[in-house]
Amino acid sequence: MRIRVEYEVNSELRFLSNLDMMNVIQRALRRADIPYALSEGFNPHIRLSMGTVLPVGLWGQREYFDLELSERMSIEGFSSKMNAVLPPTIEINHACEIEQLTPALMKVINATAYVFVINADDVDVSAWRDQVLNRDILMVKSRGKKKGIDKDLKKGIYKIELINNEMVTNIIIWVSSGEPVNIRYDELLDMMQQTGLDSRLIIDVYRQGNYIKVGEQFYSPLKKVKVFE
Amino acid sequence: MKDKLYRDILPRVSKPARYTGNELNVIKKDWETSHTKMVFAFPDVYEIGMSHIGGKILYGLVNEKTDHLMERSYAPWPDMESIMREENIPLYSLESFRPLADFDIVGFSLQYELSITNILNMLDLSGIPLKSEQRGEDDPLIVAGGPVAFNPEPFADFIDVFFIGDGEEVLPEFLDAYYNNRHLGRQECLIKMAAIEGIYVPQLYNVEYFSDNTIKSRQPLYAGIPSIIRKRVVANLDEAYYPDKPVLPYMEIIHDRAVLEVMRGCQRGCRFCHAGMVYRPTRERSIDTLFGQARNQLLHTGYEEVSLASLSTLDYSAVDQLVKGLVAEHGPRGVGVALPSLRVDAFSIELANEVQKVRKTTLTLAPEAGSQRLRDVINKNVDTEQLLSAVEAAFKSGWMSIKLYFMIGLPTENREDLDGILDLLDEVKKVGNQYSRRPVEIRASMACFVPKPHTPFQWQPQNNIAELQDKIAWLRRSKRKHIKLSFHDSQTSYLEGVIARGDRRLGEVILTAWQKGCRFDGWSEYFSFERWMDSFHQCAIEPDFYVTRQRAYSEIMPWDFIDIGVTKEFLAEENELAMAGILSPDCRQVGCTGCGVCTSLEVDLDIRGEENFAHQG
Repeated sequence: MRIRVEYEVNSELRFLSNLDMMNVIQRALRRADIPYALSEGFNPHIRLSMGTVLPVGLWGQREYFDLELSERMSIEGFSSKMNAVLPPTIEINHACEIEQLTPALMKVINATAYVFVINADDVDVSAWRDQVLNRDILMVKSRGKKKGIDKDLKKGIYKIELINNEMVTNIIIWVSSGEPVNIRYDELLDMMQQTGLDSRLIIDVYRQGNYIKVGEQFYSPLKKVKVFE
Repeated sequence: MKDKLYRDILPRVSKPARYTGNELNVIKKDWETSHTKMVFAFPDVYEIGMSHIGGKILYGLVNEKTDHLMERSYAPWPDMESIMREENIPLYSLESFRPLADFDIVGFSLQYELSITNILNMLDLSGIPLKSEQRGEDDPLIVAGGPVAFNPEPFADFIDVFFIGDGEEVLPEFLDAYYNNRHLGRQECLIKMAAIEGIYVPQLYNVEYFSDNTIKSRQPLYAGIPSIIRKRVVANLDEAYYPDKPVLPYMEIIHDRAVLEVMRGCQRGCRFCHAGMVYRPTRERSIDTLFGQARNQLLHTGYEEVSLASLSTLDYSAVDQLVKGLVAEHGPRGVGVALPSLRVDAFSIELANEVQKVRKTTLTLAPEAGSQRLRDVINKNVDTEQLLSAVEAAFKSGWMSIKLYFMIGLPTENREDLDGILDLLDEVKKVGNQYSRRPVEIRASMACFVPKPHTPFQWQPQNNIAELQDKIAWLRRSKRKHIKLSFHDSQTSYLEGVIARGDRRLGEVILTAWQKGCRFDGWSEYFSFERWMDSFHQCAIEPDFYVTRQRAYSEIMPWDFIDIGVTKEFLAEENELAMAGILSPDCRQVGCTGCGVCTSLEVDLDIRGEENFAHQG
């Protein structure tokens, strides 16, 4: 049986690396006595595959992993057993069974939404958004492995939403992940700085979710799991 | 505080998960209702401190079994330290995020001589005066224990109270006594504490010296203060507390696995070995206790591996049964068993084959010396034939690489002994190449021998840096294909040697070195030998006095007042036997050899399973 799981990583765990996060999940699987399947070979490991890497420094509302089980169990049973042993800083919110041939998360997730919470007392955020969306190019120096190369973010920025709360504004930027351009959250920070949004106004950054974008639609990886569609 | 950390501080440092706390199985006791409040402070970074078994034991013991409270703190890495200093953030505990100065007791673990500068740095980051004599009524008591505390004297200026011996014996008693005497003034309280067995309060003693700088006398300043401090011993390890729910770190630590302490102590009697002398006698846990502890720890942590720790795990009397039982119970769920140290014999290799869940990469063995003559001197009861049969067993079963540990600078060592190391490596390679199609990798790691207090070699001179450099050059004179040699830093070993056998006059040098910026001295990227040598010079103290001098049997050693149970006569006799190249047997095999520990501490060897010595050789 193969399942796909959606979980939330609380802001207290924002400094964990991807490897740390995998350890947290694998150890919870053992503590919860989940009938996980093991790989063959000298060094059997749990057949777990994580979704796209949550950057160090960010927390995430909708993160994903796929897991292979060696025997059937109910989805509710899985979630409640896991939540009982997970630290209070991580929670499984949804899960579903997926077909054996469903492509891996890493292959299908192609869009991400980052949320920048800003202290917006005296900034006109919507004017900032309009001028960003009206530009033809949004050039930054790339971060990560291929550092320092000129990179145009424009074609990878799908939409920018604004939500005004009492004191703060959430800027939600929907971006491409992988193809056509892989956009990192720190590149977005650079872009914001360059386009006149002072980074000192940002009080929190998190990842709202990972999505499968088909046409103009963004699907949850839990919704787009059929092999033949 | 926590908010500021998360928002402003931690995003700017490397490995921020070192400083966030709140791990699974953390224990946060109520501050107001807890009796004595203690913080366990480890003078190295989180991932090293969290790997230490003693800390796990004391943390669980105090928090689960007593009315007192214990929190944790680790040395911040220099990047974090500089931000803490800039932003005026005091060193805090990972449970309540309180500054260390708020606690009644700040307890340091002394695992390594050179961690003392980190202790000073942590006190300074806490705003606590560095020297005992400068502390006032409102300052915490600064306590320390651990293997290095068996010679507490070099740290006497900085530590108010030392714990000598097994911590789980003395600590709860100390915390009770502190709580009952908390209304007393600092000095009176310390005098009360000094009456507890295993407790040493250095400021209550006066030391006088001869003009040649050796010790003339040591006197307690008050009546009723013991002149000899006897170590504390857990008599029944099987019934002693051991944590079922150790704190599970979020970030990867050095020993990131469940750990069983299968036994404490070792009676093999290697003459260079500090742990082998100070942790006598050997006490084992029963196999059923260990099975239960493994089950519980795995249940509460979800670790993928359980490691069998001790000074010589293959000597555990039921090791075969234990390993096979653990593999049978936990193996099917993908949980492995790790044997951290192997004995040099074929039985060990066979057992290692059984548990090795990862691919057979590197196997580690420790013959310690290159010639039979020198192995006899140090009482390492291994002959070349045993070593080669172990190596043969390993290569036969598919290992491709072997790492061998040696020491250079051992007493009586000469060129033939050094050549013996190279010859041995050649022979090992030859055996390997008989069984493998690809050429095997042989790696040899050479430590510089540092004579330790309370060992038969405590009177011996240590090689100076030039002598060690000569030996290293000699060993490196010809390159051998597929044999890699690596050497410990001789300057670091020299400084370790000074502090290991030092006296309380070194306090001034240590303070000066810290003031000059020394910290993380165990880390090569921060160690500065020049700064240390400047500090010796500035304090007009000659370091060679402590390191390279042959000491007389009649000399009063700085640590002579610490009674580890093993008699000085036994140590002297062992030193004589060493010089004559005569082996001493293991008391488990031949009966009592008269080291004195069982009779003087009224404890006994505690062997729980059927002896496995028959498998040897």
